Amino acid sequence: MIEVTGPKILFSFSFFGLFDVTITETVLSSFLVMLTLVILSIWLGRNLKKRPSGKQVLTEKVVGMLYNMVRDTMGEHNLRFAPYIGALFCSSLLGTLISMLGFFRSATADISTTITWALVTSVLVWYYNIKNNGFFGWLKGFTEPIVVMTPMNIVSEIAQPISMAFRHFGNVAGGSVLTMLIYNALAAASAVILGWIPNAFISSIPILQVGIPAVLSLYFDLFSGFIQALVFSMLTMVYVGAACPPPAEKEAK
Amino acid sequence: MLFLASEPFISLNIWTSIFTLCNLLIVFFVMKKFLFKPVKKMIDDRQKEIDDQYADAEKSKTDAAELKSQYETRLAEANAEKEAILKEAYRKAQLRDEEMLREAQDKAAATLRRADEQIALEKKRAMNEIKDEVSVMAVDIASAVLARDIKASEHSDLIDSFIDNLGDDHD
Repeated sequence: MIEVTGPKILFSFSFFGLFDVTITETVLSSFLVMLTLVILSIWLGRNLKKRPSGKQVLTEKVVGMLYNMVRDTMGEHNLRFAPYIGALFCSSLLGTLISMLGFFRSATADISTTITWALVTSVLVWYYNIKNNGFFGWLKGFTEPIVVMTPMNIVSEIAQPISMAFRHFGNVAGGSVLTMLIYNALAAASAVILGWIPNAFISSIPILQVGIPAVLSLYFDLFSGFIQALVFSMLTMVYVGAACPPPAEKEAK
Repeated sequence: MLFLASEPFISLNIWTSIFTLCNLLIVFFVMKKFLFKPVKKMIDDRQKEIDDQYADAEKSKTDAAELKSQYETRLAEANAEKEAILKEAYRKAQLRDEEMLREAQDKAAATLRRADEQIALEKKRAMNEIKDEVSVMAVDIASAVLARDIKASEHSDLIDSFIDNLGDDHD
């Protein structure tokens, strides 16, 4: 019996009798990812030299690439967002890849995680829109280009974080579900192939599970995880970048 | 404590959200402070250093070119000066040469003239001496011949004409 479920609840406790706090697998994964990234960041950022060697070359390359990506997408004036985009990208990537260790569930295979990140993006967009155009300027933005579009604009504004969250969640969770289904299908197929062997132990070896899932995992975990992290970061950059136009353009408005 | 209980596949859990947000913010601040800022600063510093070095090199190159042109000008000047000095020295030497030659010629000519004069003088003196001697001799001979004293003064005209004839034969 195949059961598709969300993250397991590791434990829950009552917060001074006020409400129940549940700690799920997602929180564990998220915490581990956070810990890894914190240790990695501090380790990579230490002992920087003018003449780099070994890890510093790689670090500078990656950080430089991220800055370039932010510069290309958001513009020179929005370079300060690079650390946030980096944090988001790494959290998303490791949050997806952590499932490959075999003990943990992807943090991004939980809609709670992705909707949180998507809402951070939306809050950033709203904050900078209001900061740049004023509260009423922001509201007025919904009536453009014509007043009739207002409901559409409002819907799209609300749909934006939801679609972002579900895109990421769906890809990762769907990938894991698919992998699980394939595993079970391969086990069944193995049983059919090896069924004629009288030995019960040998006939129960899921021989087809060797190799084939690894190839699929390359796509569903590595490739998809990377692409989704990139897409999520890209969308965040585009949305926030649009809310923070270059200084000259802001003057012109 | 519950274990192995699962949430629905699609479910919102506010605590998961809160923890996720906290983790994201922690990662953001740590990355910003410990990774992005130092690395960016390092990259920018290095870029600046490289730019400075290039600017320095460019400046050095310009300076060197300027110095080179200066040296070349000076070298050309020095060459011209050398040429002039040589020419002057040559001219002076030639002048001196001619002067010395002329001086030597003058000196030689003077010496020659003096020698001629002396010779003429000596000749005259010798002539006079000979004349005197001849006149004495002539008187002696005549007195010997005549065996008497002839007064020189009385016969001087005779003697002189004799000597003149003698001298004419010798000249």
